[in-house]
Amino acid sequence: MVNYVIKRSVYGLIVLLIMISFVFIVMRLVPGDVVALQLSGAGAVSEEQIAQLRSELGLDKSVWAQFLDWTKNAVTGDLGKSLWSKMPVTTLIAERITVTLQLAFMAITMAILIAIPAGIYSAMKRNTWIDHMIRVIAIGGLSIPNFWFALLLIIFLSLFFGWIPPLGYQSFFSNPIVNLQQMILPALVLALSLSASIVRMTRSSLLEVLHADFIRTIRAKGAKEKLVIMKHALRNSLIPVITLIGLQVGFLLGGTVIIESIFSLPGIGSLIFEGVTKRDYPVVQATVLVYGALFMIVNLIVDIAYGWIDPRMRPD
Amino acid sequence: MNPAPQINPGLPNTSIKQLSTKRIRLRKSLDETKRFIKTQKIGVISLSIIMLFILLAAFAPLIAPYDPIEQDRSAFMLAPTAAHIMGTDDLGRDIFSRIIFGARVSLLVGIATVAISMICGTILGVISGYFGKVIDMAIQRVMDAIMAIPPLILALFIAALLGPAIKNVIIALTIVNIPHFARITRGEMLRIKEMNYVEASRSAGSGALRIIAKHGIPNMMAPIIVIASLTFGQSIIAEASLSFLGIGTPPPNPSWGLMLSGASSYMENAPWMVLFPGLVLSIAVLAFNLLGDALRDFLDPKLN
Repeated sequence: MVNYVIKRSVYGLIVLLIMISFVFIVMRLVPGDVVALQLSGAGAVSEEQIAQLRSELGLDKSVWAQFLDWTKNAVTGDLGKSLWSKMPVTTLIAERITVTLQLAFMAITMAILIAIPAGIYSAMKRNTWIDHMIRVIAIGGLSIPNFWFALLLIIFLSLFFGWIPPLGYQSFFSNPIVNLQQMILPALVLALSLSASIVRMTRSSLLEVLHADFIRTIRAKGAKEKLVIMKHALRNSLIPVITLIGLQVGFLLGGTVIIESIFSLPGIGSLIFEGVTKRDYPVVQATVLVYGALFMIVNLIVDIAYGWIDPRMRPD
Repeated sequence: MNPAPQINPGLPNTSIKQLSTKRIRLRKSLDETKRFIKTQKIGVISLSIIMLFILLAAFAPLIAPYDPIEQDRSAFMLAPTAAHIMGTDDLGRDIFSRIIFGARVSLLVGIATVAISMICGTILGVISGYFGKVIDMAIQRVMDAIMAIPPLILALFIAALLGPAIKNVIIALTIVNIPHFARITRGEMLRIKEMNYVEASRSAGSGALRIIAKHGIPNMMAPIIVIASLTFGQSIIAEASLSFLGIGTPPPNPSWGLMLSGASSYMENAPWMVLFPGLVLSIAVLAFNLLGDALRDFLDPKLN
């Protein structure tokens, strides 16, 4: 098991390295650079000033040399400083990652709590009107863009209940009630599309297992239907569902960018967005790295969860 | 009137044979279409909705009652009336007309993204699956790297770097979607490569290109078509998301995402500005998702 985790982590690091070199190089090759942006407000600028700022920001070296420097520092945990605010990037990310993590965690929890029971129910009541309704809602949930749903929710709540979520962000530990008021809507919006795909997968996977021979044997022995599903079928149908949740975390993290911007939440979604438009290279590199690492860790957890659900899948 | 062409009784044997195989093929695809219409009612409905969108986009100037870009200062944020069935926006532009022209942007992005990523992804996947070894390793690691970043984040990164333009949205979304096609076609190629008929073809002297073109790609069309339909819907949402964030379609072009972005400042005063573009966007995506589901049921019930 430990060997397996190490192997996967090494492999993940290689993938992250390819990804970060792509981001690093592309950002510096594409027209529009940070020096021009920073000096754009200053009126007439001499060549000297440009050269000076360039060396101040460490951009006078070759891209290759910059990349080597950055990698060397990154290994020791130093991800550089923002080219604009001069704050260490790690501090910037640490300030904001709790928002995104809380949002993602709440969304996943809500999605699982809604979707798995709905999927089981849908499979048990196969081809009844309630099954059809759940399936229609699920495919609708997949098709409705989450930012539109967010806007509709805000309009609906303010027109009919006169309630608007408090703007901005307060940490859960300083003011849990305001925090939850601020986070519940964005999390719900993200949970919607997430649960749509989980419902579909739970239903189809459970139905497939219910056709298996061992289920027929258990039924033949006279087990109650509830016991058949809860104890035997569900456990065997969860593998594809968990795989899907792991993959969907990528969509979820992408979705946080747009949802954070609608609800003005200061998460890493808004950080990368500002970073790219201002060409703040170290900020973008670090945020992409964080996103990649999060995604990788989630999928590693998913792989470990396989073995926990189904002992046959434990790696030797 | 021209006399009807006579079938020449002295036609050489081979061309009669060719004609009949062609006819059989045509007959077969007609039968398949009939079977689709018969078994996949929802698929047919969603296909008609998609056709409707294509017609709207193609004949936008004829259908739209107003100019989508021209501002009318006497008609700010009007609620839906007979003159403006979906109301007007904050600059006095007719929302219905903007939605019709917006279909052009969405479909253009969808078609271009799906076509380019399908071709590139399939080529990469087939090469990866057929040749294996180092080539496979290299291609798969690059695909893994692309997939290691959440798709919208990567699209946002590329689109924001390149600047707001429809062309750049297409580039960004294409890069994001290539791995989906590459992964599925690689798996299919690995499977097909081991088939007896490929072995037979190889021993008869077929080269890699011939095997891929003659046996590989025709036998993996089912999953490719399903993924293409689902990718289409996702690309439309992604275009709208990028435009919503201000890094997609540049204003004043009518794009559904851009319209929603403008509307978000006037949500309480003019809810129709939010309602209609989002509704049309959702219907379009729903149609592609349902079509994808129907195609999956129809072409390969095992795929899921």
